[in-house]
Amino acid sequence: MSLDSGFLFRVLIFPGFAFILFFTMFCDWVERKIEARVQNRMGPTYTGPAGILQPLADFVKLLTKEDIVPFNVKNFIFKLVPILSFSIFVFAFAFLPIDGANAILNSNFEGDLILVLTLISIANFFLFLSGWSSTNPYSATGAARVLTQFLGYDIPLFILALAPAFLARSLSILRIAASQPLPFALVIPWVFVLFMITLQAELEKDPFDIPHAETEIVGGYETEYTGRRLAFLKLAKDVQIVLGAAIAVELFLGGPYGPVFYGSPAFWCALWFVLKLLVVVVFTEYLTCVFARLRIDQVLVINWKVLLPLSLLSLVATVGLGLWLNPLR
Amino acid sequence: MPTSINGILKALGDALGGKILQTGTLRPEKVLVQVDVGAHRDAIKVILKQDENAGVSAITGVDLGKTIKLLYHIRACNTIITIGVELPKENAKIESITDLISGANFHEREVSDFFGVTFEGHPNPKRLILPEDWPENVFPLRKDFTAPNFPSKTENSGALKDNEQVSGDDGLVKIVLGPQHPALIEPEKFILKVDGEIVKEVKPRIGYVHRGIEKAAESRTYLQDIYLVERICGICNACHAACFCQTVEAIMGVDAPPRARYLRTIILELNRIHSHMLLLGHAGFEIGYETLFHYMWRDRERILDIMEELTGNRIIASFITIGGVRRDLKEEMIPRIKAEMEALRERMKFYKELFENDSTIKMRTKNVGVLSKQDALKLCVVGPVARGSGVNMDVRRDEPYAAYNEIPFRVITYDYGDSWARLMVRLDEVVESANIIQYALEHLPSGPYRVRVPRIVPAGEAIGRVEAPRGELFYYVKSNGTAYPERVKVRTPTFANILAFVKIAEGINIADVPASFISLDPCFSCTDR
Repeated sequence: MSLDSGFLFRVLIFPGFAFILFFTMFCDWVERKIEARVQNRMGPTYTGPAGILQPLADFVKLLTKEDIVPFNVKNFIFKLVPILSFSIFVFAFAFLPIDGANAILNSNFEGDLILVLTLISIANFFLFLSGWSSTNPYSATGAARVLTQFLGYDIPLFILALAPAFLARSLSILRIAASQPLPFALVIPWVFVLFMITLQAELEKDPFDIPHAETEIVGGYETEYTGRRLAFLKLAKDVQIVLGAAIAVELFLGGPYGPVFYGSPAFWCALWFVLKLLVVVVFTEYLTCVFARLRIDQVLVINWKVLLPLSLLSLVATVGLGLWLNPLR
Repeated sequence: MPTSINGILKALGDALGGKILQTGTLRPEKVLVQVDVGAHRDAIKVILKQDENAGVSAITGVDLGKTIKLLYHIRACNTIITIGVELPKENAKIESITDLISGANFHEREVSDFFGVTFEGHPNPKRLILPEDWPENVFPLRKDFTAPNFPSKTENSGALKDNEQVSGDDGLVKIVLGPQHPALIEPEKFILKVDGEIVKEVKPRIGYVHRGIEKAAESRTYLQDIYLVERICGICNACHAACFCQTVEAIMGVDAPPRARYLRTIILELNRIHSHMLLLGHAGFEIGYETLFHYMWRDRERILDIMEELTGNRIIASFITIGGVRRDLKEEMIPRIKAEMEALRERMKFYKELFENDSTIKMRTKNVGVLSKQDALKLCVVGPVARGSGVNMDVRRDEPYAAYNEIPFRVITYDYGDSWARLMVRLDEVVESANIIQYALEHLPSGPYRVRVPRIVPAGEAIGRVEAPRGELFYYVKSNGTAYPERVKVRTPTFANILAFVKIAEGINIADVPASFISLDPCFSCTDR
């Protein structure tokens, strides 16, 4: 692997950093527009056609704002966390095939599914650290809630992610995505539904957006952040949402693969990937709009008493189905 | 009702005998019993024996120069009986009635703040509205009040003391909610003592937005006061204007013409609809259901459009005046308002289905913040909070004002007493209000919409009650025969309901505090006045 221009292009422009950054902002715009339309509002309107540049404008605006570090914070962690959580999410993206291959060509390996899921957990832990280092009661409560929630929901998420891996007989995301002539969402719909619910909790969206309950704990873990740190923290959250949706696409909706009509397959793969991802984003945003926020104890009850047993059960059912379809030799 | 007002009067006469100094009437046709100092407790005991659901509506203090008169306005048999006591101004002391009716707690503290009356045996005789660093022996509502030299704000100002102690002797953690907090739109402070996630005790502190409106009203003419009292509460401004005008009209012996009474009914009900919809949307926001918030507020906007067309303003109506209303309803508006009411009823059907069936709403509001009927009666709560706990009270039916005696409507009650029931009461009341407006428009009498009244009001005193969106609104006005009132007393619904929050917050999850608090529809600018 040499540092040629093709490699740099793939890592920095497409499907690497720049694409992920701008696509995240585009998804943010889609989310805001969908939410606004569902809620009988206009949504972003002024910046760019139909307000499409609003997320970028917000980001730039935050970058220009004064950067305040409160007196008592744990300085090093407080400053490190926003950029670290953002980079980990972007790094995890490098293992998802977007145009039919990973950003770094041939970097997929048996087990990168586990790696990506672990990276998400680590990044979530950094979000927790951001609140914990703020030494503000609201931040601390928000941080504790992040931790409580992602500790709980990571387990069903892992279990459910194993189901498509079992059907594909591989732990490589690329292979799982490639082995879906029929999307797994149709083969094992019960796993898909549970996965989407768990994802909703993992991404801290309604009805599970407890760490963001602004009527109870103000800004949650972001309370003390301002300026560019807040910009990166918010961007990290947005990348996390897109990443979550991308994993759902790779595991259950056939990844970037779809009918190729003419021209370069990479173009068609990227197009299918973007379209499928938008469907997932619209779906999660719709769920966000139609539910009220639950309480943390109710969320935990749902997690441990409902989702965990159900996900185990669905994994067993999937294994049974997989063996029946394709017996072990 | 177990007994009638006459029964109570007879029992009072039998029990107190010579201790009754004088019986009279407070206009309009309300009983006033003047008793000896100390006999007021016996009088209230007699009333409680006759009607065990009796509660305190308000306690008014009046400075008569050498003495201070206390008026205990007791709500019994759906009307008000006033027990009057006169105290010497120097060293004014009286026994507390909070042990008889716990709802009197705040009323007594308020009188003690403003008039310097000591209530002996009060469980918590602290400042309620005045700040902790307010000088001793300066009582703002006394007539001889002169503004003191206020001490400069210092670090050891008393108001800060409560915050400093993070954990008390009992090992419970104190969480301070407010005065600035995103869940509370208005400034007020609650100190929650929590054990883990469970709230054990709540200490409210109000008075952050006290503007001295009762005092200011004494230095303005009656006409100016209408606009002043409208500013007590922006949301239910029409109710304040209606209640004040009604009370002054009672002193004057003036009746608003029939058309004005119907127009008042219409504006009061429009007021109720937009207030309830504001609250329902806000409740959605508190439980993280922003879609509901946006939907509800968009529908509310149509009511505000009607308000604007009718009164010239979206919120502060300035519509009701002494002797009638200030504008007539244009004939061509009637079909439009009717159509809007029809559309509103359709929308409310949708919202009712939502509140009854949506599982996340139910998880956050059902069985949360339960206030039992007994507690509701004991704490003298009013309005939708009382009706959500199954207390069947509504001033519109009990003592009709405006045109309510001619319009049929239902009083909505729910028996559950939880946040959900309180929200459902409001949801159903919006439909009832739409029906009332429709009926009023169909039966709108013709004729003048106001009578001219003199600026000078004859001497006398009167009380007025109006069912505001948040509950019973109480006014007491005393006139001394000039163009300026001698005393204006306002008891807003939220003032009566705060004690209920202290009760329902005990034992609930801390995440439920905002949601159950909002179900009381608190309004602190009214409470502080």
